Amino acid sequence: MSSTTEKFEFTAANMEKYKELLTRYDDVESALLPVLHLAQEQNGWLPPHVVNYISNLMNIPTIKIKEVISFYDMFYDVPVARNVVQVCTNISCSMFGGREIYQGLLKHFDTDYLTPSRDGRVSLQKMECLGACEIAPCMRVNNDFVGNITLASAIAKLEELP
Amino acid sequence: MKDVANFKDYALLSYHHIQGVHNIDIFERAGGYETMKACFDKDPEAIKEEVKLSGLRGRGGAGFATGVKWGFFTKDRNAKKYLLCNADESEPGTFKDRYLVEKNPHILIEGMIISAWALGTQRGYIYIRGEFYQQAVMLENAIKEAYAKGYLGKNILGKGFDFELAVHRGAGAYICGEETALISSLEGKKGQPKLKPPFPAIKGYRGLPTMVNNVESLAAVPWIMKFGAAAYKQWGTEKSPGTKLFSISGDVNKPGVIEVPLSTTLKDIIEIHCGGMRNGNKLKGVIPGGSSSPILNAEEAYAVKMDYEDVASKGSMLGSGAIIVLDETRNMGEVLKWTLEFYHHESCGQCTPCREGTGWLDGVFKRRDTGKASKSDVALLDKIAASMRGQTICALADAAAMPTQGIIKSFRDELEQYVTTTTKK
Repeated sequence: MSSTTEKFEFTAANMEKYKELLTRYDDVESALLPVLHLAQEQNGWLPPHVVNYISNLMNIPTIKIKEVISFYDMFYDVPVARNVVQVCTNISCSMFGGREIYQGLLKHFDTDYLTPSRDGRVSLQKMECLGACEIAPCMRVNNDFVGNITLASAIAKLEELP
Repeated sequence: MKDVANFKDYALLSYHHIQGVHNIDIFERAGGYETMKACFDKDPEAIKEEVKLSGLRGRGGAGFATGVKWGFFTKDRNAKKYLLCNADESEPGTFKDRYLVEKNPHILIEGMIISAWALGTQRGYIYIRGEFYQQAVMLENAIKEAYAKGYLGKNILGKGFDFELAVHRGAGAYICGEETALISSLEGKKGQPKLKPPFPAIKGYRGLPTMVNNVESLAAVPWIMKFGAAAYKQWGTEKSPGTKLFSISGDVNKPGVIEVPLSTTLKDIIEIHCGGMRNGNKLKGVIPGGSSSPILNAEEAYAVKMDYEDVASKGSMLGSGAIIVLDETRNMGEVLKWTLEFYHHESCGQCTPCREGTGWLDGVFKRRDTGKASKSDVALLDKIAASMRGQTICALADAAAMPTQGIIKSFRDELEQYVTTTTKK
């Protein structure tokens, strides 16, 4: 997917953030998760050339970084759309139709797990308990919770996204 | 009353009715950080002793006495050591810590500063699950405010004590709520649990002494230090003292977070605090302490008092206080299917009984979907679950096995019927 000629480096502002992050920890390795979050914020996902950049920057072997990326659901080693939407499918949300909503959204956007919709607008991710069961069924649209959704209200909300 | 804390009724939500209390000035006007200032004039050992006397038990799920855990920590104040706040809150059904910190981040920070002073830790982190992005931002802002006031950083309030605090975001992994997995994750690794002993209090983050406490445990410390252990014990029972946050979801009219004394009856929680059953339906069962706790049937649920001992006497556990209420329209087979799919996904893969066992359990339901499961698969579920328990580094295998066996015990017929009925799509 990604070509080796692609380049990535932190923007000047993110480089400042990176340096500030390092001051929070007693070793460089501990900053890996926040640095990956930062890189993903800038690039959308974490392709090999981004991994290489972080590997050189932090002096951590690429294999260790890839291992970490593959372990956590919120780090993406595949391209994702401009907006990532996580739909909860755990007990409380499933009781109120969370699974049907997830399936309905996949159908509506004609896509599957994480694959960007054709217009590149939405990637849908089935998620485990999001920790917002009082507003079940719920989803996260980028960084925000949207609760008490129905399939129709979820579609309406996502259709508003840029 | 509007702008002052209600310490009489609440130890944790005392400030929650005050608008804008996430702002440090409003928090302080209401009485915030007073206890912290008073604590710097106290001997750290005396603070530890008070917390121990209060009987506060770890609120993350295990219920181990916080003061006793603190007692395992080195008393050498010069030794490099860490205080970690577990805000991973990933047990399905749990959202109490989110509710606590998103309105009032400072109560946690005050609790952490007092605890850091008592324990002599120089650095602390709040490990918060990745999904709680806005909450992490709120905590970071609150931390900045506390730095600006001189409550964090070097030589706090001129007392010669240093404590640096930062937020560390996870990235979506249930297992990181397990304290050794949380430490692995903080170290920049996959969140895989480590074999205990050595316990983190002895050898934790970066191989150094590390104290890991839940948000709710740390946030209870200011109240305990303000009013004393004896006052804290006015609530609850001898073995389960104090108040507890409960996250209630499912088939009730008013789902949400409440703070009530431990040993409040589940009946009162459902009928008084949560406005009763949704649509006036009949209760069928309750998951009392997060998805890993065995289900209680209606009779047990209406009889149980929500404290560690009484829930255990009914064969389940209080856990994180995540109550999921299920009414007569719910199918327990379906609930178990959702539960097992989750544990299969979240097993970290280190230990064979868990990695394979959660897959086999989940596999029965996958087989059901193709119409190939039979009644005997329920016995198979029971057998797999039994063979997973107590065989692994952490409790995730048990967390999958216990609710499986719980549903088999209370709803066997329904489960047998469920696995043999396919709704092929």
